[in-house]
Amino acid sequence: MNLELYSILLLPLFASAVVALFFRTSGRVGSIFSAGASAVALALLLKFVLSDSFGIYKDSLILYSLGGFSLNMGILFDSLTANMLFVVCFVGFLIIVYSAGYMKGDEGVGRFFAGISFFMFSMTGIVMSSNLFMMFVFWELVGFSSYALIAHYASTEAARSASKKAFIVNRVGDFGFLLGIVWCQAKFGTTDFSVLAEIFKASPGDAVTGMGLLVMCGFLGKSAQLPLHVWLPDAMAGPTPVSALIHAATMVAAGIYMMVRLSVVGFLTPEVLDTVLILSALMAFLGGVWALAQSDIKKILAYSTLAHLGLMGVGIGAGSELAMFHLTTHAFFKATLFLVAGAVIIACHHEQDIFKMGGLAKKMPVTFVVSAVAVCAIMAIPFFSGYYSKEAVLAAVFAKASDGVLVHSAAFWITLFAAFLTPIYTLRFFLLVFFGAPRSESASKAREVSFLMTVPMAILAVYSLCAGWSYVYDFQWMNGKFNFLIPTAASEFVGKGIASRHAEAFLNSGLETFEIVAVAMTFAAVVVAILIYRSGKDRIKESLPLAYGEIARCGRFDEIYNYYVAKVQQRFADLLATFVDLFLIEILSVRGIGAFCAVLGCGVKKLHSSRCGAQVAWLGAGLAFVFFLVFAA
Amino acid sequence: MEDFTSTMLNLGVYAPIIGAIFLAAFYPVSNGGTAKGIGILSSAVSLAAVVFLWIGFGWWQKDALLGFEFAQRFELMGVSLPLFALNGISLPMYSLAGIVGFAATLWAVRSEIEGVKLYMILLLVMQGGLMGAFASTNVLWMYAFHEFALIPTFVAMLLWGGAGRKNAAIEMAIYLTLGALVSLLGIVALYLLCGNTFEIVEMRVAAAMGAIPQGWQKAVFGLLLFGLGTLVSLFPFYSWAPRAYSAAPTSFAMLHAGVLKKFGLYVLIQVALPLLPSGAKDWAFVLACLALFNVIYIGLVTMAQKDLKLMVSYSSVSHMGMCFLGVAALEVLGAGSALMLMFGHGLSVALLFMLSNAVVNRTGQWEMAKMGGLYKKTPILAAFFLAGAFASAGLPCFANFWGELGIFVALWKFSPYVCALAALGIIISAIYALRAFASVFMGSSSKEIESIEESEGSISDLSIAERLPAAVLLAALVFVGFFPMALTDFMNADLNSFAVLIQPK
Repeated sequence: MNLELYSILLLPLFASAVVALFFRTSGRVGSIFSAGASAVALALLLKFVLSDSFGIYKDSLILYSLGGFSLNMGILFDSLTANMLFVVCFVGFLIIVYSAGYMKGDEGVGRFFAGISFFMFSMTGIVMSSNLFMMFVFWELVGFSSYALIAHYASTEAARSASKKAFIVNRVGDFGFLLGIVWCQAKFGTTDFSVLAEIFKASPGDAVTGMGLLVMCGFLGKSAQLPLHVWLPDAMAGPTPVSALIHAATMVAAGIYMMVRLSVVGFLTPEVLDTVLILSALMAFLGGVWALAQSDIKKILAYSTLAHLGLMGVGIGAGSELAMFHLTTHAFFKATLFLVAGAVIIACHHEQDIFKMGGLAKKMPVTFVVSAVAVCAIMAIPFFSGYYSKEAVLAAVFAKASDGVLVHSAAFWITLFAAFLTPIYTLRFFLLVFFGAPRSESASKAREVSFLMTVPMAILAVYSLCAGWSYVYDFQWMNGKFNFLIPTAASEFVGKGIASRHAEAFLNSGLETFEIVAVAMTFAAVVVAILIYRSGKDRIKESLPLAYGEIARCGRFDEIYNYYVAKVQQRFADLLATFVDLFLIEILSVRGIGAFCAVLGCGVKKLHSSRCGAQVAWLGAGLAFVFFLVFAA
Repeated sequence: MEDFTSTMLNLGVYAPIIGAIFLAAFYPVSNGGTAKGIGILSSAVSLAAVVFLWIGFGWWQKDALLGFEFAQRFELMGVSLPLFALNGISLPMYSLAGIVGFAATLWAVRSEIEGVKLYMILLLVMQGGLMGAFASTNVLWMYAFHEFALIPTFVAMLLWGGAGRKNAAIEMAIYLTLGALVSLLGIVALYLLCGNTFEIVEMRVAAAMGAIPQGWQKAVFGLLLFGLGTLVSLFPFYSWAPRAYSAAPTSFAMLHAGVLKKFGLYVLIQVALPLLPSGAKDWAFVLACLALFNVIYIGLVTMAQKDLKLMVSYSSVSHMGMCFLGVAALEVLGAGSALMLMFGHGLSVALLFMLSNAVVNRTGQWEMAKMGGLYKKTPILAAFFLAGAFASAGLPCFANFWGELGIFVALWKFSPYVCALAALGIIISAIYALRAFASVFMGSSSKEIESIEESEGSISDLSIAERLPAAVLLAALVFVGFFPMALTDFMNADLNSFAVLIQPK
């Protein structure tokens, strides 16, 4: 049993418990505990992955055993774990530091830090899981921490409905996930990743499409993919650091991580992968379209997150390490963008409408520069981190589409459109917020935020720029002296995949041309975006109000679901409660039998008469009866 | 050491009864304060016995505790008292009775009741009966102690109950008496078939030698299933439960919904499954279908409830379906998980009844739609309620999760379709639990609450005395949530011993 690894897992839980039980009202102590625990966890992680003996580490700890079933709280630590855990711990630590500045003066600050530490605990658990059951346990727990943090501003109507919605929509996904896991346990007798890997290695035909599709439901819920994506935009009702950490960088990526893990194992059949591919491609496209009609700064980023999670999903379908690559770079630049949004919101006194901002570049220089870097990364400008991962995914799906299968080529074209949309909605947000003249009083009075917020942002911006390099070029800063910035162990999983793909790419001359076209397309999109949004106005909104209005309804998913919940499900439940429960069972059956007995009793009572004649008649009848019994039988 | 353990076990049963007798004997001269003191003292002794037997002794020397082995008979004035012993199946229930009983007494002590002396006597009688029912090794004594625990509920309901108490009490009385009668028939049949004995151990020996023929098995199991099923509010014999719980005074609702109701399931697992394996197999499919109605149909009815206490009551009926499904799976895992869920649910539903009572006391409202925004005024209450709501929705970290998870795994082998339908329960229970929390605690305050605040001053949070019972229940839930082996270690040995019998031939 490796104490270091279990400390990485349990320290945040400890911090969370201490803050929740003893320091609910003290924001400072809460933030110190929370940040301290995650700092120590990060340090322990770095120590572990930088040690020379780093290899695949397995551990098992039976937590529960009943009958023939046991649940193992084991640890599986390989290069994939290292990659994901580095992102979680590193981004998590920076965002907790940022939160110490952002949440200053909030009345529920203790609750906030307890919640975010609990999130770190459960997320670490997912990443380290050695089997599906353990993953499910922590999967539910991140669902809870997400719920609790969305519900932070509990007195607002938005938080009330969004928190509920997030948990329940996730439960719908978990319903399938759980059945898939239980099926796997029943069929293979285990859900341990390494054992499953051996099973599928020996006979790849054992993988079951139905099982994979059920498990995929968990991914659709947690990573907010079609048709379960509706909770994520609403989840922006939580505090901005929460949106950055949980609803952009890490938790929503847990679905991707799970699918990558299973795809490496060989659990997912080609049919499942194709389903993921097409659903995710659609999400990448629709997320980008819907982002174009949002005016809330956080909602724009939320829809952009949907689109990029879709892009990662495409990566799963086309080659799992690429999904992991985009997950990593996305975590850095999307976290940066959300932190920028948080800084802007604080500076503008909780104004979130981008049409009421403008001209913040001069007032908030650090935020502006940081934002510019992250914007370049998300737009996939060459040499920024996002460029490498996005191009890699696009190239892979391009290569995949060359086999002529309809689903693959459809997915390719949809993804390509999606990629074209990214610079447009990103620049819409960037230009409207930072350029032009301030369009409201709060924007004109904006000031740069405190260093507790700017420093984490700046560090993340550096990663948004550079993170891609160490993965693609196997680049080691200063002969590896600064290797701890992104440990080799953490970049190994992606790096190996990329290297083998590069080797393949030499054989495919179409790929090189495609990559040039893709870059040209990015720049074309940038030009288009500047033309549309340079004047500080939304020209699409002005010239095509009908189309804009339709886009703003986001495919009417919410309307349909709300109709179902309120008009179908609830009415059915009401019907059961009134007609079946109250009328049929309580009134008709129970009271009915009662009334029947009462009536019967009244009737029988009449027979009990004290009149002499009646008594004699009864006596006679009784005698006749006994006589009959004795002699007739 | 065995003597001492046995003494503790007996003390757990008799302490509340002695307390009740003492209070009754000094009824005219004692006052409310003494009654409360004696109530707390005797239920605390019970709890201490539980802690000693379960965590202290059982942890290190669990072999000594298992399989009814260490039992020792005590005599009182020449009359031998019933034999008490625990095995892995009864230990969780015995512990549950001790914990919930203590919390219910604590809650009763701080609430302002008229006639607190009688209230305490009834509560102690109920707890003593429950502890005895789960500690008995003799089916007749089990039954007798169960009836002993049942009667106080009727009385308390009539004396201190809420709206509609008369009808609810009568309905409950008829249902439960009928159910008990039908199951008594089954028990008597078992007595005759197993060679005139009520001792579980002897019955098991007889059954293992094939004393109960196939044909009888089906009939007797049917009697037990429907008789005991009525006690546990199995569909369609459930309608007494929600009305009775929402009308009963809180402490009794806690003990009844939390502990007493589980008695039927407990007897099914402890007695019926090992003695009547082939009968159980014959009924398993019917049972699974009825239980699915509990999970889904009652779950939907729960979603339609507007009254907070009724919502909690219906949810408890719905969760019993999940336990029945565990029994229907006919496996060590299924039966053990049902026990786990019974334990977890007993704690969480008691917690929710208690907290709903606290909410209703503060707001003067039953209807959830007329509350709202309580969070700001009562953060501690909200935190406890949230924990209870998530526990009942089966979140990991709480005992209920392990129960539900194991039941799903066991059910898949029984039938994947039944498993899939049962798993709908995790969505349904999340919907009603979170809806209730959201409408009571989140959002902005309703007009009704504001008017209460204007007339009666600000709404206060849970006092320390109110937090204590909630903390006791929550601590047990979380403890088993993190260390489920604290219960399953005991269960494994005892459930495995009869697993051979249930295995399909």
